[in-house]
Amino acid sequence: MTDSPTLLGTMRKVKLHLSAGQFLLTIMLVTLSATGSFAAAQYGEVAAALVFVLGITVAGALCGLASALIAALVGFLIYNFYLTEPVLTFRLVTGSDIAPLVIFNLCALVSGVLAGRLKDHAEAARSSNLQLNSLLELSRGLQSAQRLEDVVATVGKAAHEIVGARISLFRAEEEGLTPLDAMPRDDRWRGFAEALLASPTPMFRDGNLLGCRLNGGTDVPILMIVEPFRPRGIEPAFVNALGNMVALALQRAALSEQMTERRASARAEELKTALLASVSHDFRTPLTAISASASSLITYGEKLDPETSLRLLHGIVEEGERLNRYTANLLEMSRLETGGGPASLQVLGVSEMVAAAVQRVRSRAGRRSIVLRDPESDLQIAANPALFELVLINILDNAITYSADETHIRIELSGVDGLCRIAIADEGFGIPAQDADRVFDRFYRVARSEASPRGSGLGLAIAKGFVEALGGTIGATVPGIEGRGTCITIRLPLAEGTGLS
Amino acid sequence: MTNILLVDDEPSLIAVLQPVLGAAGYHVIVATDGNSASRLALDQRPDVVLLDLGLPDMDGKEVIRRIRAASAVPIIVISARHQEAEKIAALDNGADDYVNKPFEIGELMARIRAAIRRGKSLESEPETYSGGPLDVDFASRQVRLDGEAVKLSPKEYDLLRVLALSAGQVVTHKRLLAAGWGSERTDSQYLRVYIGLLRQKIEEDPSDPRLLLTEPGVGYRLTPGA
Repeated sequence: MTDSPTLLGTMRKVKLHLSAGQFLLTIMLVTLSATGSFAAAQYGEVAAALVFVLGITVAGALCGLASALIAALVGFLIYNFYLTEPVLTFRLVTGSDIAPLVIFNLCALVSGVLAGRLKDHAEAARSSNLQLNSLLELSRGLQSAQRLEDVVATVGKAAHEIVGARISLFRAEEEGLTPLDAMPRDDRWRGFAEALLASPTPMFRDGNLLGCRLNGGTDVPILMIVEPFRPRGIEPAFVNALGNMVALALQRAALSEQMTERRASARAEELKTALLASVSHDFRTPLTAISASASSLITYGEKLDPETSLRLLHGIVEEGERLNRYTANLLEMSRLETGGGPASLQVLGVSEMVAAAVQRVRSRAGRRSIVLRDPESDLQIAANPALFELVLINILDNAITYSADETHIRIELSGVDGLCRIAIADEGFGIPAQDADRVFDRFYRVARSEASPRGSGLGLAIAKGFVEALGGTIGATVPGIEGRGTCITIRLPLAEGTGLS
Repeated sequence: MTNILLVDDEPSLIAVLQPVLGAAGYHVIVATDGNSASRLALDQRPDVVLLDLGLPDMDGKEVIRRIRAASAVPIIVISARHQEAEKIAALDNGADDYVNKPFEIGELMARIRAAIRRGKSLESEPETYSGGPLDVDFASRQVRLDGEAVKLSPKEYDLLRVLALSAGQVVTHKRLLAAGWGSERTDSQYLRVYIGLLRQKIEEDPSDPRLLLTEPGVGYRLTPGA
């Protein structure tokens, strides 16, 4: 309602058409007024005239200006013909003849126009209420939108269902306009968008199209273009409000994106720090063994018997291998981390791989017995052989590290429902039951001695990454064997056509 | 024969140290966890305990406390270089010295010899110290460098005396502060200044000390030099 609410201004808007119902109602009101008028005539002409005025006002209020004017005219005719002297004649000679005509019509005009304005107000209130509701609904939708794509999708959906328009969002980059949605659009939009971008005000209107420039929280302005389905169906103020809301949602999305990025980089930083700490720690034990062995051979070479010297040399080779394995673990970890996954898949005999891994850890196992129970012995999986071996060694190494000498480590293989199950159980110190899932977290180590935890805390994390990359599962359960220790169970899909016997 | 109790749960380290220490003339007893370590330390009466702080069943510091409760046997801790706090805590709990991983066997042997010497000196306090160019006579408070008398202030002498009595072993800031100033809480800035003065008097090149070595973050160590 931008026009000033003068009577004339309002009159222009009042429509002079009358529906059949309104016409009937008008007739009824006129009849009623006439009857009342005749009844009131005994109290004088003025009383009769007032009854007509009442009827005209009611007609105007209920049915609008046209009805009021009809009522005024008919009322005047009846009043003049029947109720004023001389009765049963029309006379428009004296002032008292003309005054009712003027007053009746003025009355009709005022009441009709007032009714029209009232109706307009109601109409406007209803429409603004509708817009408010649609804005509310849209804002609710936008509030739950966390990413730019969500915002765009929400706006696109709301445009059709709530606003009754087509709304497009463009990112105005220096290289040109990039639509944020995949809607088909003609060249008219592009031209309008360029005009909007060049416009001095953030709001711009051209024919049916409305647009505004939004601050989406980044350096690049976002253009919102609204094309109403019905001509003149949307007020610029509504587009403005809509624009503000979309801008807020875009800013929130941009912020949340920045936060996600920052969080990711913080996590990467944390990982790097932990990796460095872990590397410096884990590499120390094999390095110590190598350094002590080599310096012993130099210093006490002659004093050592040949057998001992050979053992020390073997130890150096073995510890070198261990360092190599730690390095491989680190590399695999970062590879799994970056989503590279196992590169080359080969069909591998599980029991053969397990036996090889047992051989590799045997020298570290001391007097622990490692038993492989494999009733089927023909299970095959498709995996990267180096990585699979690394995973098996990691788990076996854990079982050795976290158990006392002269205990048992038991490996069981079985094929069930197209899955190969590898269970490695020990009689070690076990893990707290509530930590059973956390052992697969990177750098998790069972808290046992704050001074110097052994192992990198990477082994089981790599195992988990490997198993999951192959579509399998891995889990830790306590106890392992006879109420003690831990059991790590891997389930991997069997290679096709194996293990079905 | 000198007995060494080796407490470590890393098979690879035991595999090296047991035969090498044996070849160096020591008798080695091995414990792979804290419980058996504290039991063996009391039953077998070793002359030196070599203790890795990371054990499967208990904190290494707890092992030190248990041994210290019944025995004054010298304890050498094997620890990672960067874990100053751990090392200080171990020394505070009664450990005598430490060796950083990874170590060279010569370094470990020197620590063991120093620990054994210190263990004996606890029984009867020595009257002199002699290491490299440096001689100290504790009775007459005489200090000589290459045979020439060195004049030390009383505080400098007190510090040198503590270092010489634990020759070859680390002496923590705390112990030095207690010896020089009578309080462990004195600003260690003073200590640095006095160590600097001592070095001026006994080191050939004070900026490149060979006798009075810094153990970063822990303390100082007096050695016979290269």
